Amino acid sequence: MASVVLSEAEKVYIVHGIQEDLRVDGRGCEDYRCTEVETDVVSNTSGSARVKLGHTDILVGVKAEMGTPKLEKPDEGYLEFFVDCSANATPEFEGRGGEELGTEIVNTLYRIFSNGSSIDLKSLCINPREHCWVLYVDVLLLECGGNLFDAISIAVKAALFNTRIPKVRVLEDDEGSKEIELSDDPYDCIRLNVDNVPCIITLSKIGCRHVVDATLQEEACSLASLLLSVTNRGTLTCMKKLGKGSLDPESIFEMMETGKKVGKTLHIALQKTLEKEESLGTTRQKVGFLG
Amino acid sequence: MPLDHRRVPGPEESQAPLLYAAPGEEEAAPGREAAALRPLLARAGLLSQAEGSAYVELSGGTKVLCAVRGPREAAEGRGRLLCEFRRAPFSSRGARPRPGPAAAARERELGLALQEALAPAVRLARYPRARLEVTALLLQDGGSALAAAISAAALALADAGVEMFDLVVGCGLCRAPGPAGAWLLQPSEAEERAAPARLTVALMPGLNQVAGLLGSGQGGPPESWARAVRLGLEGCQRLYPVLRRSLLRAAERRAAEGPRSTGSSA
Repeated sequence: MASVVLSEAEKVYIVHGIQEDLRVDGRGCEDYRCTEVETDVVSNTSGSARVKLGHTDILVGVKAEMGTPKLEKPDEGYLEFFVDCSANATPEFEGRGGEELGTEIVNTLYRIFSNGSSIDLKSLCINPREHCWVLYVDVLLLECGGNLFDAISIAVKAALFNTRIPKVRVLEDDEGSKEIELSDDPYDCIRLNVDNVPCIITLSKIGCRHVVDATLQEEACSLASLLLSVTNRGTLTCMKKLGKGSLDPESIFEMMETGKKVGKTLHIALQKTLEKEESLGTTRQKVGFLG
Repeated sequence: MPLDHRRVPGPEESQAPLLYAAPGEEEAAPGREAAALRPLLARAGLLSQAEGSAYVELSGGTKVLCAVRGPREAAEGRGRLLCEFRRAPFSSRGARPRPGPAAAARERELGLALQEALAPAVRLARYPRARLEVTALLLQDGGSALAAAISAAALALADAGVEMFDLVVGCGLCRAPGPAGAWLLQPSEAEERAAPARLTVALMPGLNQVAGLLGSGQGGPPESWARAVRLGLEGCQRLYPVLRRSLLRAAERRAAEGPRSTGSSA
Protein backbone atom coordinates (compact mmCIF):
# COMPACT_ATOMS: atom_id res chain seq x y z
CA MET A 1 0.00 0.00 0.00
CA ALA A 2 1.04 3.51 -0.51
CA SER A 3 3.09 4.61 2.40
CA VAL A 4 4.97 7.59 3.69
CA VAL A 5 8.16 7.62 5.69
CA LEU A 6 7.96 9.47 8.97
CA SER A 7 10.70 10.41 11.38
CA GLU A 8 10.50 9.36 15.03
CA ALA A 9 9.66 12.90 16.11
CA GLU A 10 6.77 13.13 13.67
CA LYS A 11 5.40 9.84 14.91
CA VAL A 12 5.62 10.92 18.53
CA TYR A 13 3.81 14.14 17.63
CA ILE A 14 0.96 12.23 15.98
CA VAL A 15 0.67 9.62 18.74
CA HIS A 16 0.67 12.20 21.53
CA GLY A 17 -1.90 14.27 19.73
CA ILE A 18 -4.20 11.30 19.40
CA GLN A 19 -3.80 10.59 23.11
CA GLU A 20 -5.36 14.03 23.64
CA ASP A 21 -8.15 13.36 21.10
CA LEU A 22 -6.67 15.91 18.73
CA ARG A 23 -5.34 14.83 15.39
CA VAL A 24 -2.91 16.57 13.09
CA ASP A 25 -5.67 17.92 10.88
CA GLY A 26 -7.75 19.07 13.84
CA ARG A 27 -10.22 16.18 13.92
CA GLY A 28 -11.25 14.15 16.93
CA CYS A 29 -10.64 10.41 17.08
CA GLU A 30 -14.07 9.47 15.74
CA ASP A 31 -14.41 12.08 12.99
CA TYR A 32 -14.28 11.43 9.29
CA ARG A 33 -12.61 13.76 6.88
CA CYS A 34 -14.76 15.84 4.58
CA THR A 35 -16.27 13.44 2.08
CA GLU A 36 -17.52 14.25 -1.40
CA VAL A 37 -19.88 11.83 -3.10
CA GLU A 38 -21.06 12.20 -6.66
CA THR A 39 -23.08 9.65 -8.55
CA ASP A 40 -23.69 9.14 -12.23
CA VAL A 41 -20.30 10.40 -13.35
CA VAL A 42 -19.58 7.96 -16.17
CA SER A 43 -22.27 7.70 -18.81
CA ASN A 44 -21.25 4.32 -20.22
CA THR A 45 -22.09 2.48 -17.03
CA SER A 46 -25.31 1.29 -15.46
CA GLY A 47 -24.33 3.13 -12.32
CA SER A 48 -21.26 4.94 -11.16
CA ALA A 49 -19.99 6.98 -8.27
CA ARG A 50 -16.94 8.91 -7.30
CA VAL A 51 -15.94 9.40 -3.70
CA LYS A 52 -13.29 11.75 -2.45
CA LEU A 53 -12.34 11.25 1.15
CA GLY A 54 -9.60 13.71 1.99
CA HIS A 55 -6.90 12.82 -0.49
CA THR A 56 -8.33 9.41 -1.29
CA ASP A 57 -10.14 9.39 -4.58
CA ILE A 58 -12.16 6.41 -5.76
CA LEU A 59 -14.20 5.88 -8.89
CA VAL A 60 -16.60 2.95 -9.11
CA GLY A 61 -18.46 1.86 -12.20
CA VAL A 62 -21.16 -0.81 -12.28
CA LYS A 63 -22.04 -2.53 -15.50
CA ALA A 64 -24.97 -4.90 -15.69
CA GLU A 65 -24.63 -7.76 -18.11
CA MET A 66 -26.68 -10.83 -18.73
CA GLY A 67 -25.19 -14.14 -17.69
CA THR A 68 -26.13 -17.56 -16.44
CA PRO A 69 -26.75 -18.08 -12.73
CA LYS A 70 -24.32 -20.08 -10.68
CA LEU A 71 -25.10 -23.75 -10.30
CA GLU A 72 -25.41 -23.60 -6.53
CA LYS A 73 -27.81 -20.68 -6.70
CA PRO A 74 -29.97 -21.11 -9.79
CA ASP A 75 -32.43 -18.35 -8.86
CA GLU A 76 -29.98 -15.59 -8.01
CA GLY A 77 -27.82 -13.14 -9.90
CA TYR A 78 -24.39 -12.26 -8.66
CA LEU A 79 -21.82 -9.52 -8.32
CA GLU A 80 -18.27 -9.56 -9.60
CA PHE A 81 -15.65 -7.21 -8.23
CA PHE A 82 -12.51 -5.92 -9.84
CA VAL A 83 -10.08 -3.46 -8.36
CA ASP A 84 -7.64 -1.59 -10.50
CA CYS A 85 -4.77 0.02 -8.66
CA SER A 86 -3.84 2.74 -11.09
CA ALA A 87 -0.21 3.80 -11.16
CA ASN A 88 -1.48 7.37 -10.95
CA ALA A 89 -2.23 6.74 -7.28
CA THR A 90 1.31 5.80 -6.30
CA PRO A 91 4.30 4.73 -8.33
CA GLU A 92 4.35 1.52 -6.28
CA PHE A 93 1.32 0.31 -8.21
CA GLU A 94 3.18 0.31 -11.49
CA GLY A 95 3.29 -3.01 -13.30
CA ARG A 96 2.09 -5.75 -11.00
CA GLY A 97 2.81 -3.73 -7.86
CA GLY A 98 -0.80 -3.10 -6.99
CA GLU A 99 -1.93 -6.65 -7.53
CA GLU A 100 -1.59 -7.82 -3.95
CA LEU A 101 -3.53 -4.89 -2.57
CA GLY A 102 -6.08 -5.34 -5.33
CA THR A 103 -6.71 -8.98 -4.43
CA GLU A 104 -7.02 -8.09 -0.77
CA ILE A 105 -9.65 -5.45 -1.51
CA VAL A 106 -11.53 -7.74 -3.88
CA ASN A 107 -11.57 -10.55 -1.33
CA THR A 108 -12.84 -8.20 1.35
CA LEU A 109 -15.61 -6.97 -0.93
CA TYR A 110 -16.65 -10.53 -1.75
CA ARG A 111 -16.64 -11.33 1.94
CA ILE A 112 -18.99 -8.43 2.66
CA PHE A 113 -21.38 -9.15 -0.16
CA SER A 114 -21.36 -12.93 0.10
CA ASN A 115 -24.00 -13.09 2.79
CA GLY A 116 -27.56 -13.02 1.53
CA SER A 117 -28.64 -9.93 3.40
CA SER A 118 -26.57 -7.21 1.72
CA ILE A 119 -28.34 -7.15 -1.60
CA ASP A 120 -31.41 -8.98 -2.78
CA LEU A 121 -29.74 -11.20 -5.36
CA LYS A 122 -33.03 -12.88 -6.20
CA SER A 123 -34.20 -9.65 -7.83
CA LEU A 124 -31.33 -10.00 -10.30
CA CYS A 125 -32.67 -13.29 -11.61
CA ILE A 126 -34.42 -13.17 -14.97
CA ASN A 127 -35.37 -16.79 -15.33
CA PRO A 128 -33.99 -19.47 -13.05
CA ARG A 129 -31.11 -21.62 -14.26
CA GLU A 130 -30.87 -19.72 -17.52
CA HIS A 131 -30.52 -15.98 -17.28
CA CYS A 132 -29.63 -13.54 -14.58
CA TRP A 133 -28.05 -10.14 -14.26
CA VAL A 134 -24.40 -10.05 -13.39
CA LEU A 135 -23.23 -6.78 -11.92
CA TYR A 136 -19.61 -6.07 -12.68
CA VAL A 137 -18.36 -3.65 -10.07
CA ASP A 138 -15.09 -2.05 -11.13
CA VAL A 139 -13.22 -0.05 -8.56
CA LEU A 140 -10.56 2.39 -9.70
CA LEU A 141 -8.13 3.88 -7.23
CA LEU A 142 -7.30 7.34 -8.53
CA GLU A 143 -5.52 8.67 -5.49
CA CYS A 144 -4.49 7.02 -2.24
CA GLY A 145 -4.54 9.19 0.84
CA GLY A 146 -5.19 6.63 3.52
CA ASN A 147 -8.29 4.73 4.54
CA LEU A 148 -8.85 3.08 1.20
CA PHE A 149 -11.30 0.45 2.41
CA ASP A 150 -13.83 2.88 3.86
CA ALA A 151 -13.76 5.08 0.79
CA ILE A 152 -14.20 2.09 -1.51
CA SER A 153 -17.16 0.75 0.43
CA ILE A 154 -18.87 4.16 0.36
CA ALA A 155 -18.24 4.43 -3.37
CA VAL A 156 -19.54 0.92 -4.05
CA LYS A 157 -22.70 1.61 -2.08
CA ALA A 158 -23.25 4.90 -3.90
CA ALA A 159 -22.67 3.28 -7.29
CA LEU A 160 -25.09 0.45 -6.52
CA PHE A 161 -27.65 3.04 -5.40
CA ASN A 162 -27.20 4.76 -8.72
CA THR A 163 -27.43 1.55 -10.75
CA ARG A 164 -30.34 1.19 -13.11
CA ILE A 165 -30.93 -2.16 -14.71
CA PRO A 166 -33.16 -2.25 -17.79
CA LYS A 167 -36.37 -4.15 -17.33
CA VAL A 168 -36.70 -7.29 -19.41
CA ARG A 169 -39.54 -9.69 -19.94
CA VAL A 170 -39.36 -13.36 -20.72
CA LEU A 171 -41.73 -14.40 -23.48
CA GLU A 172 -42.50 -18.04 -24.02
CA ASP A 173 -43.94 -19.25 -27.31
CA ASP A 174 -45.96 -22.39 -28.02
CA GLU A 175 -42.94 -24.59 -28.49
CA GLY A 176 -41.58 -23.65 -25.11
CA SER A 177 -38.65 -21.68 -26.39
CA LYS A 178 -38.01 -18.54 -24.47
CA GLU A 179 -37.25 -15.12 -25.73
CA ILE A 180 -36.10 -12.12 -23.81
CA GLU A 181 -37.66 -8.80 -24.63
CA LEU A 182 -36.19 -5.50 -23.60
CA SER A 183 -38.54 -2.75 -22.61
CA ASP A 184 -38.86 0.06 -25.18
CA ASP A 185 -38.83 2.78 -22.59
CA PRO A 186 -35.24 3.54 -21.55
CA TYR A 187 -36.50 4.93 -18.25
CA ASP A 188 -38.27 1.68 -17.44
CA CYS A 189 -35.69 0.10 -15.19
CA ILE A 190 -35.25 -1.55 -11.85
CA ARG A 191 -33.29 -0.10 -8.98
CA LEU A 192 -31.47 -1.99 -6.31
CA ASN A 193 -32.35 -1.74 -2.68
CA VAL A 194 -29.10 -0.73 -1.03
CA ASP A 195 -30.42 -0.17 2.49
CA ASN A 196 -28.65 -3.24 3.80
CA VAL A 197 -25.36 -2.73 1.98
CA PRO A 198 -22.78 -2.30 4.72
CA CYS A 199 -20.01 0.25 4.88
CA ILE A 200 -16.52 -0.55 6.01
CA ILE A 201 -15.21 1.23 9.07
CA THR A 202 -11.48 0.79 9.62
CA LEU A 203 -10.28 1.56 13.11
CA SER A 204 -6.54 2.04 13.43
CA LYS A 205 -4.90 1.46 16.76
CA ILE A 206 -2.48 4.26 17.49
CA GLY A 207 -0.86 4.36 20.89
CA CYS A 208 -3.54 3.17 23.24
CA ARG A 209 -6.43 4.77 21.38
CA HIS A 210 -8.07 4.04 18.10
CA VAL A 211 -9.02 6.42 15.32
CA VAL A 212 -11.35 6.18 12.35
CA ASP A 213 -10.43 7.36 8.87
CA ALA A 214 -6.67 7.43 9.34
CA THR A 215 -4.58 9.49 6.94
CA LEU A 216 -1.43 8.05 5.39
CA GLN A 217 0.66 9.61 8.14
CA GLU A 218 -1.52 8.09 10.82
CA GLU A 219 -1.48 4.71 9.09
CA ALA A 220 2.30 4.81 9.29
CA CYS A 221 2.02 5.14 13.08
CA SER A 222 -0.40 2.27 13.45
CA LEU A 223 0.70 -1.33 13.71
CA ALA A 224 -2.68 -2.98 13.63
CA SER A 225 -6.15 -1.97 12.63
CA LEU A 226 -9.52 -3.58 12.70
CA LEU A 227 -11.75 -3.57 9.66
CA LEU A 228 -15.46 -3.81 10.40
CA SER A 229 -18.34 -3.77 8.00
CA VAL A 230 -21.37 -2.18 9.61
CA THR A 231 -24.91 -2.10 8.30
CA ASN A 232 -27.29 0.79 8.81
CA ARG A 233 -28.87 -1.04 11.74
CA GLY A 234 -25.53 -1.39 13.48
CA THR A 235 -24.95 -5.09 12.90
CA LEU A 236 -21.53 -6.30 11.88
CA THR A 237 -21.17 -8.48 8.81
CA CYS A 238 -17.41 -8.76 8.61
CA MET A 239 -14.45 -8.22 10.84
CA LYS A 240 -10.81 -8.57 10.03
CA LYS A 241 -7.54 -7.61 11.60
CA LEU A 242 -5.15 -5.80 9.28
CA GLY A 243 -1.50 -5.04 9.72
CA LYS A 244 1.38 -6.83 11.34
CA GLY A 245 0.74 -5.90 14.95
CA SER A 246 -1.50 -7.53 17.50
CA LEU A 247 -4.45 -6.19 19.46
CA ASP A 248 -5.47 -6.43 23.06
CA PRO A 249 -8.77 -8.34 23.48
CA GLU A 250 -10.36 -5.50 25.45
CA SER A 251 -9.50 -2.94 22.80
CA ILE A 252 -11.18 -5.09 20.18
CA PHE A 253 -14.45 -4.91 22.05
CA GLU A 254 -14.12 -1.14 22.42
CA MET A 255 -13.35 -0.82 18.72
CA MET A 256 -16.42 -2.82 17.82
CA GLU A 257 -18.61 -0.48 19.84
CA THR A 258 -17.02 2.58 18.26
CA GLY A 259 -17.39 1.01 14.83
CA LYS A 260 -21.09 0.46 15.37
CA LYS A 261 -21.64 4.03 16.51
CA VAL A 262 -19.59 5.63 13.73
CA GLY A 263 -21.05 3.28 11.13
CA LYS A 264 -24.61 4.23 11.96
CA THR A 265 -23.94 7.96 11.60
CA LEU A 266 -22.02 7.37 8.38
CA HIS A 267 -24.95 5.46 6.90
CA ILE A 268 -27.40 8.21 7.82
CA ALA A 269 -25.18 10.90 6.31
CA LEU A 270 -24.57 8.89 3.14
CA GLN A 271 -28.24 8.08 2.65
CA LYS A 272 -29.16 11.73 3.09
CA THR A 273 -26.56 12.83 0.54
CA LEU A 274 -27.63 10.24 -1.99
CA GLU A 275 -31.29 11.12 -1.65
CA LYS A 276 -30.59 14.82 -1.92
CA GLU A 277 -28.59 14.31 -5.06
CA GLU A 278 -31.32 12.09 -6.46
CA SER A 279 -34.01 14.69 -5.80
CA LEU A 280 -32.14 17.30 -7.81
CA GLY A 281 -32.58 15.15 -10.90
CA THR A 282 -31.31 16.63 -14.12
CA THR A 283 -30.95 20.10 -12.67
CA ARG A 284 -27.93 18.90 -10.74
CA GLN A 285 -24.70 20.53 -11.68
CA LYS A 286 -22.07 17.94 -12.34
CA VAL A 287 -18.75 18.58 -10.72
CA GLY A 288 -16.80 15.72 -12.26
CA PHE A 289 -13.11 15.39 -11.76
CA LEU A 290 -10.80 17.99 -10.35
CA GLY A 291 -13.87 20.16 -9.85
CA MET B 1 -19.20 -37.54 -39.05
CA PRO B 2 -20.52 -41.00 -38.21
CA LEU B 3 -21.80 -41.31 -34.68
CA ASP B 4 -19.77 -43.53 -32.43
CA HIS B 5 -22.32 -45.71 -30.66
CA ARG B 6 -19.88 -47.39 -28.36
CA ARG B 7 -19.13 -44.15 -26.61
CA VAL B 8 -21.58 -42.39 -24.40
CA PRO B 9 -21.06 -38.71 -24.90
CA GLY B 10 -21.01 -37.24 -21.45
CA PRO B 11 -21.95 -33.67 -20.72
CA GLU B 12 -19.24 -31.14 -21.36
CA GLU B 13 -19.39 -29.92 -17.82
CA SER B 14 -19.89 -32.21 -14.90
CA GLN B 15 -21.35 -31.20 -11.59
CA ALA B 16 -21.23 -32.68 -8.15
CA PRO B 17 -24.34 -34.74 -7.36
CA LEU B 18 -24.49 -33.01 -4.00
CA LEU B 19 -25.85 -29.93 -5.75
CA TYR B 20 -29.04 -31.80 -6.49
CA ALA B 21 -29.54 -33.24 -3.05
CA ALA B 22 -32.68 -31.83 -1.53
CA PRO B 23 -31.96 -29.54 1.39
CA GLY B 24 -32.45 -31.16 4.74
CA GLU B 25 -31.65 -34.58 3.40
CA GLU B 26 -28.60 -34.87 5.56
CA GLU B 27 -29.26 -35.86 9.08
CA ALA B 28 -28.92 -33.02 11.53
CA ALA B 29 -25.85 -33.19 13.70
CA PRO B 30 -26.62 -34.19 17.25
CA GLY B 31 -26.80 -31.27 19.61
CA ARG B 32 -23.52 -30.45 21.17
CA GLU B 33 -22.03 -28.21 23.75
CA ALA B 34 -21.08 -24.87 22.26
CA ALA B 35 -17.75 -24.63 24.06
CA ALA B 36 -16.68 -28.21 23.38
CA LEU B 37 -13.30 -28.48 21.69
CA ARG B 38 -12.49 -31.21 19.24
CA PRO B 39 -9.59 -33.43 20.28
CA LEU B 40 -6.44 -32.13 18.66
CA LEU B 41 -3.32 -33.98 17.66
CA ALA B 42 -0.19 -31.94 17.11
CA ARG B 43 3.24 -33.15 16.15
CA ALA B 44 6.25 -31.03 15.42
CA GLY B 45 9.43 -31.79 13.53
CA LEU B 46 8.43 -34.55 11.15
CA LEU B 47 9.66 -33.42 7.76
CA SER B 48 13.35 -34.01 7.28
CA GLN B 49 13.97 -31.52 4.48
CA ALA B 50 12.38 -28.47 6.06
CA GLU B 51 13.94 -26.42 8.83
CA GLY B 52 10.79 -26.79 10.86
CA SER B 53 7.53 -28.61 10.35
CA ALA B 54 4.34 -29.49 12.12
CA TYR B 55 1.22 -31.53 11.59
CA VAL B 56 -2.09 -30.70 13.22
CA GLU B 57 -5.15 -32.85 13.06
CA LEU B 58 -8.54 -32.15 14.52
CA SER B 59 -10.70 -35.12 15.22
CA GLY B 60 -13.41 -35.16 12.61
CA GLY B 61 -11.10 -34.80 9.69
CA THR B 62 -9.15 -31.55 9.46
CA LYS B 63 -5.54 -32.33 8.62
CA VAL B 64 -2.93 -29.68 8.02
CA LEU B 65 0.75 -30.13 7.28
CA CYS B 66 2.99 -27.14 7.62
CA ALA B 67 6.64 -26.56 6.73
CA VAL B 68 8.99 -23.64 7.32
CA ARG B 69 11.95 -22.94 5.12
CA GLY B 70 14.49 -20.32 5.97
CA PRO B 71 15.78 -17.96 7.05
CA ARG B 72 17.08 -17.63 3.52
CA GLU B 73 18.94 -14.71 2.12
CA ALA B 74 16.84 -12.13 0.37
CA ALA B 75 17.79 -9.16 -1.71
CA GLU B 76 15.60 -6.71 0.10
CA GLY B 77 16.53 -4.94 3.28
CA ARG B 78 13.97 -5.98 5.81
CA GLY B 79 13.12 -9.45 7.03
CA ARG B 80 10.05 -10.88 5.36
CA LEU B 81 7.59 -13.55 6.28
CA LEU B 82 5.96 -15.23 3.31
CA CYS B 83 3.01 -17.49 3.87
CA GLU B 84 1.30 -19.77 1.47
CA PHE B 85 -1.84 -21.74 2.03
CA ARG B 86 -2.57 -24.58 -0.33
CA ARG B 87 -5.48 -26.93 -0.46
CA ALA B 88 -4.93 -30.42 -1.69
CA PRO B 89 -7.17 -30.96 -4.74
CA PHE B 90 -9.05 -33.67 -2.85
CA SER B 91 -9.29 -31.78 0.41
CA SER B 92 -12.89 -30.72 0.27
CA ARG B 93 -16.21 -32.47 -0.05
CA GLY B 94 -17.93 -32.81 -3.37
CA ALA B 95 -16.44 -32.09 -6.77
CA ARG B 96 -12.76 -31.51 -7.21
CA PRO B 97 -12.24 -27.77 -7.37
CA ARG B 98 -11.33 -26.52 -10.79
CA PRO B 99 -7.98 -24.79 -10.72
CA GLY B 100 -8.36 -21.24 -11.87
CA PRO B 101 -8.12 -17.64 -10.84
CA ALA B 102 -11.03 -17.91 -8.41
CA ALA B 103 -9.50 -20.82 -6.51
CA ALA B 104 -6.10 -19.13 -6.54
CA ALA B 105 -7.58 -15.93 -5.14
CA ARG B 106 -9.26 -17.83 -2.33
CA GLU B 107 -6.00 -19.55 -1.43
CA ARG B 108 -4.20 -16.26 -1.52
CA GLU B 109 -6.70 -14.73 0.87
CA LEU B 110 -6.12 -17.53 3.35
CA GLY B 111 -2.37 -17.20 2.89
CA LEU B 112 -2.63 -13.51 3.64
CA ALA B 113 -4.74 -14.22 6.73
CA LEU B 114 -2.12 -16.72 7.86
CA GLN B 115 0.60 -14.15 7.36
CA GLU B 116 -1.25 -11.49 9.30
CA ALA B 117 -1.84 -13.89 12.18
CA LEU B 118 1.80 -14.98 12.38
CA ALA B 119 3.53 -11.66 11.78
CA PRO B 120 2.94 -10.27 15.30
CA ALA B 121 4.58 -13.30 16.89
CA VAL B 122 7.72 -13.58 14.78
CA ARG B 123 10.64 -11.31 15.67
CA LEU B 124 11.30 -10.29 12.11
CA ALA B 125 13.62 -7.50 13.20
CA ARG B 126 16.10 -10.21 14.15
CA TYR B 127 16.25 -11.44 10.58
CA PRO B 128 17.37 -8.56 8.41
CA ARG B 129 17.88 -9.31 4.75
CA ALA B 130 16.25 -12.69 5.17
CA ARG B 131 12.99 -14.29 4.34
CA LEU B 132 11.05 -17.01 6.05
CA GLU B 133 8.75 -19.14 3.99
CA VAL B 134 5.80 -20.85 5.58
CA THR B 135 3.72 -23.28 3.57
CA ALA B 136 0.58 -24.82 4.95
CA LEU B 137 -0.97 -27.69 3.06
CA LEU B 138 -4.52 -28.60 3.86
CA LEU B 139 -4.85 -32.33 3.31
CA GLN B 140 -8.43 -32.66 4.39
CA ASP B 141 -10.95 -29.99 5.23
CA GLY B 142 -13.13 -31.02 8.12
CA GLY B 143 -13.94 -27.51 9.34
CA SER B 144 -11.85 -24.87 11.14
CA ALA B 145 -9.11 -25.30 8.54
CA LEU B 146 -7.61 -21.83 8.78
CA ALA B 147 -7.44 -22.08 12.58
CA ALA B 148 -5.66 -25.41 12.38
CA ALA B 149 -3.28 -23.99 9.78
CA ILE B 150 -2.42 -21.05 12.05
CA SER B 151 -1.62 -23.36 14.97
CA ALA B 152 0.41 -25.68 12.75
CA ALA B 153 2.34 -22.81 11.16
CA ALA B 154 3.24 -21.33 14.55
CA LEU B 155 4.40 -24.75 15.74
CA ALA B 156 6.51 -25.21 12.64
CA LEU B 157 8.10 -21.78 13.08
CA ALA B 158 8.95 -22.59 16.68
CA ASP B 159 10.25 -25.98 15.60
CA ALA B 160 12.52 -24.27 13.09
CA GLY B 161 14.09 -22.31 15.91
CA VAL B 162 12.79 -18.97 14.63
CA GLU B 163 12.78 -16.33 17.35
CA MET B 164 9.23 -15.64 18.42
CA PHE B 165 7.44 -13.71 21.13
CA ASP B 166 4.92 -16.46 21.67
CA LEU B 167 3.15 -19.30 19.94
CA VAL B 168 0.04 -18.41 17.98
CA VAL B 169 -3.00 -20.56 18.56
CA GLY B 170 -5.93 -20.47 16.16
CA CYS B 171 -9.50 -21.34 16.90
CA GLY B 172 -12.47 -21.47 14.55
CA LEU B 173 -16.05 -20.60 15.39
CA CYS B 174 -19.32 -20.54 13.60
CA ARG B 175 -22.81 -19.46 14.41
CA ALA B 176 -25.55 -22.05 14.46
CA PRO B 177 -28.34 -21.33 11.99
CA GLY B 178 -31.42 -19.58 13.30
CA PRO B 179 -32.11 -16.06 14.46
CA ALA B 180 -30.62 -16.55 17.92
CA GLY B 181 -28.07 -19.19 17.03
CA ALA B 182 -25.31 -19.76 19.54
CA TRP B 183 -21.66 -19.63 18.57
CA LEU B 184 -20.02 -23.04 18.32
CA LEU B 185 -16.35 -23.62 18.95
CA GLN B 186 -14.30 -25.52 16.35
CA PRO B 187 -17.15 -26.36 14.02
CA SER B 188 -17.13 -29.38 11.77
CA GLU B 189 -17.40 -29.01 8.03
CA ALA B 190 -21.16 -29.64 8.02
CA GLU B 191 -21.72 -27.05 10.73
CA GLU B 192 -19.57 -24.55 8.86
CA ARG B 193 -21.49 -25.06 5.66
CA ALA B 194 -24.82 -24.41 7.33
CA ALA B 195 -23.59 -21.47 9.38
CA PRO B 196 -24.69 -17.91 8.62
CA ALA B 197 -21.49 -16.52 10.12
CA ARG B 198 -17.95 -17.79 10.61
CA LEU B 199 -15.02 -16.46 12.57
CA THR B 200 -11.40 -17.42 13.08
CA VAL B 201 -9.43 -15.96 15.97
CA ALA B 202 -5.72 -16.30 16.64
CA LEU B 203 -4.24 -15.58 20.02
CA MET B 204 -0.79 -15.32 21.51
CA PRO B 205 -1.76 -16.90 24.83
CA GLY B 206 1.30 -15.99 26.84
CA LEU B 207 0.97 -12.29 26.08
CA ASN B 208 -2.82 -12.33 25.79
CA GLN B 209 -2.71 -10.47 22.49
CA VAL B 210 -5.00 -11.14 19.57
CA ALA B 211 -2.82 -11.85 16.56
CA GLY B 212 -5.48 -12.49 13.98
CA LEU B 213 -9.16 -12.02 13.45
CA LEU B 214 -11.13 -12.87 10.35
CA GLY B 215 -14.84 -13.35 10.27
CA SER B 216 -17.88 -12.61 8.17
CA GLY B 217 -21.53 -13.34 7.85
CA GLN B 218 -24.71 -12.50 9.62
CA GLY B 219 -23.31 -12.52 13.12
CA GLY B 220 -25.61 -9.85 14.45
CA PRO B 221 -24.77 -6.86 16.61
CA PRO B 222 -21.29 -6.20 18.02
CA GLU B 223 -22.29 -7.77 21.33
CA SER B 224 -22.83 -11.12 19.62
CA TRP B 225 -19.48 -10.88 17.83
CA ALA B 226 -17.80 -9.91 21.10
CA ARG B 227 -19.25 -13.04 22.69
CA ALA B 228 -17.83 -15.08 19.84
CA VAL B 229 -14.39 -13.52 20.16
CA ARG B 230 -14.37 -14.17 23.91
CA LEU B 231 -15.38 -17.79 23.40
CA GLY B 232 -12.72 -18.21 20.72
CA LEU B 233 -9.97 -16.71 22.85
CA GLU B 234 -10.91 -18.99 25.69
CA GLY B 235 -10.68 -21.94 23.31
CA CYS B 236 -7.21 -20.82 22.22
CA GLN B 237 -6.08 -20.70 25.85
CA ARG B 238 -7.28 -24.25 26.31
CA LEU B 239 -5.44 -25.49 23.22
CA TYR B 240 -2.18 -23.82 24.20
CA PRO B 241 -0.88 -26.55 26.58
CA VAL B 242 -1.41 -29.24 23.94
CA LEU B 243 0.69 -27.39 21.40
CA ARG B 244 3.40 -26.61 23.93
CA ARG B 245 3.63 -30.23 24.91
CA SER B 246 4.03 -31.35 21.30
CA LEU B 247 6.84 -28.84 20.83
CA LEU B 248 8.56 -30.13 23.95
CA ARG B 249 8.21 -33.69 22.75
CA ALA B 250 9.77 -32.78 19.40
CA ALA B 251 12.72 -31.19 21.17
CA GLU B 252 13.17 -34.25 23.37
CA ARG B 253 13.04 -36.52 20.36
CA ARG B 254 15.64 -34.44 18.65
CA ALA B 255 17.88 -34.49 21.71
CA ALA B 256 17.58 -38.27 21.94
CA GLU B 257 18.64 -38.57 18.32
CA GLY B 258 21.80 -36.87 19.40
CA PRO B 259 24.50 -35.33 17.26
CA ARG B 260 23.32 -37.14 14.13
CA SER B 261 20.56 -34.62 13.84
CA THR B 262 21.26 -32.04 11.22
CA GLY B 263 18.21 -29.88 11.78
CA SER B 264 18.53 -26.39 13.10
CA SER B 265 17.97 -27.42 16.69
CA ALA B 266 20.24 -24.69 17.97
